[in-house]
Amino acid sequence: MTLPTAVSARDRSIGAEEVGILADFSHAFAATLDIDETLRRAVAQIAEYMNAEAAAVFLVDEDGSSVCRASAGPVDVVGLRVERGKGIVGRAIAENRVQLVRDTTRDPDFLGNQRGFLSRSILSAPLDSANGPIGALQVLNKRDGALFDTHDADVLRLLAVPTALALNNARLSRELVEQNRIKREFQLARQMQKTLLPPRRRDLPIVAMNLPAREISGDFYDYFEVDDGRIAFCVGDVAGKGMDAALLMVRASSCLRWAGKDGATPGVWLSRVNQELCETVTRGMFVCALVGYLDRNTSQIELASAGFPPLLLYRDGRFREIPADGPPLGILKDTGYDAQRLALAGGSLYAFSDGVTDVRGPDRRPIGMDGVRDLIKRVAGVSPRARVRAMVGHLRKLALADDTTLMLLADDDAPTRYLGGMGGLSDPQNLCLVRRAVSDIVVGLGFNETERQRLVLSVDEAVANVIRHAYGGSIDGRVELSFWLDPGAVRFELRDFASPVDATRIRPRDLSECRPGGLGINLIDSVMDEWTFLRPDGGGNLLRMVKRLP
Amino acid sequence: MTQNHCATEDQQGFKLVRVSGEVDLSWSQRLRKTILDALATGRPVAVDLSQVTYIDSSGIAALVEGFQNARGKGQRFNLVAVSKPVHAVLELARLDRVFPIFANLDEANK
Repeated sequence: MTLPTAVSARDRSIGAEEVGILADFSHAFAATLDIDETLRRAVAQIAEYMNAEAAAVFLVDEDGSSVCRASAGPVDVVGLRVERGKGIVGRAIAENRVQLVRDTTRDPDFLGNQRGFLSRSILSAPLDSANGPIGALQVLNKRDGALFDTHDADVLRLLAVPTALALNNARLSRELVEQNRIKREFQLARQMQKTLLPPRRRDLPIVAMNLPAREISGDFYDYFEVDDGRIAFCVGDVAGKGMDAALLMVRASSCLRWAGKDGATPGVWLSRVNQELCETVTRGMFVCALVGYLDRNTSQIELASAGFPPLLLYRDGRFREIPADGPPLGILKDTGYDAQRLALAGGSLYAFSDGVTDVRGPDRRPIGMDGVRDLIKRVAGVSPRARVRAMVGHLRKLALADDTTLMLLADDDAPTRYLGGMGGLSDPQNLCLVRRAVSDIVVGLGFNETERQRLVLSVDEAVANVIRHAYGGSIDGRVELSFWLDPGAVRFELRDFASPVDATRIRPRDLSECRPGGLGINLIDSVMDEWTFLRPDGGGNLLRMVKRLP
Repeated sequence: MTQNHCATEDQQGFKLVRVSGEVDLSWSQRLRKTILDALATGRPVAVDLSQVTYIDSSGIAALVEGFQNARGKGQRFNLVAVSKPVHAVLELARLDRVFPIFANLDEANK
């Protein structure tokens, strides 16, 4: 920084006295964060030290004009505003140089006397910062009537340094306070979001966990019991990761809870939420969601998915992928969602937001469905809660790219369930009732239509065999049929009270041999995974047929 | 639900047995007799299965018996318009390639 050439040099160097006030200044600024109070004291000290009638500090405002923040002297000029580049202050800032005006009447930039104060001689030094001048210090009129000189200019320039530093510090600390405030608010938002998630329920066969990628999350989950005893569950993933996503998450989660309270079918449940979100959500934002019910009595799950990633059903070391069947919520009004049914039956159903598949592995690539399958296999064999914990623990070690939510439905408590049964006479007229019953039982177990038809056929054949062979066509024999859900399989038990059959003589015949009879047991053999004749207590025969779930 | 029923009519040179409903043990004997009666006329026989929603092995057995009976006498025995449920069972019993199956009588006559 060079002094204006107009300044004539009087040989007085900066000495111990100046170093003293500089030290006082620096100390005062360092000791306080209340910048206004410090500035008030500083300008008073500057005025005193420089033997000036008045002193003031101006700071550049957002619009480029400068405002007086503190003043000392007979007239209070705090709040006085000087336009950009105007006046001596404006010039000091614009040129980033000390301005020494010995006689104001001869300076074209002099703005005139302010608030009745007669300014004769002015000295103004810019307050510099890394990003350019942030304001200026100004002293007016020497008390003894003398004029400011270059020594005064040097001193003011020197005093401007700690003042500028202190102002910078104050600004930084204000920003820090603001950042902390925002951080605190995000933490509060996170805490609030957490309260929207349901508490752990050890009595329910559901475990879920949420790992936000940032302070707040766009993912959510919920589970609760509905009036008929079924357990309702939902998982959602809001597009985006910021505050807007978090706010939509709050809205969507309360909406989903409300819409599933009355036990409406999963399809209706999703349609309701879709309608509501379509009406209220900002264009371009949407929610992927999965909703469903678990009936613990039958171990059946009915669910519907709106653009949610495929679910994985893991049972007996095998996976079944259950894809989404509708678009995400909040995009298209009047969208219909189809429900899917499947049997949990000792298996584990994993639902996870795309944050799980998007987690980066050691090779920095998303782990994908295969990675999730590996993870599921790796954690198998421990309790559901331990499995979810282990999975989350593993995911935490990898690079989370997105909010990550994991829900596991696993009912380990009661591996075998009675699905239903019927009893009646060995009358062929009753076969159609048998078919209806079997058809109703297998509909919710995840079999496709062909498989269901084959199961119906097999049980029908088994009953027909009892009628024809065990009871020899007499229609007054007693036949009992019961249906069971074992871990991973459905079991049909057919009981008769006829003379014991010779099980060794009942085996499927060679199909290449084309003849009318003996086809029934053949059909049973090709449809069922297992069939056995047992000798039950109380006589008769028990045919047990087992079909693994898909 | 389609009513369980079977009846024979003369169609395009065939004795055509039209079957409808769910063929099971409760009335498959009636189907068997209808087919055998049709074969007894000595004319070509076709069984229309388009209206059959279910068939069990006793119904399949009636068809197999008719087929073997006809083959012994060098008589024509065709299945026409086989419904999906029937085809599924024929497939399961590996009989879908045993029977001469046609989409309709015109095809059978070609």
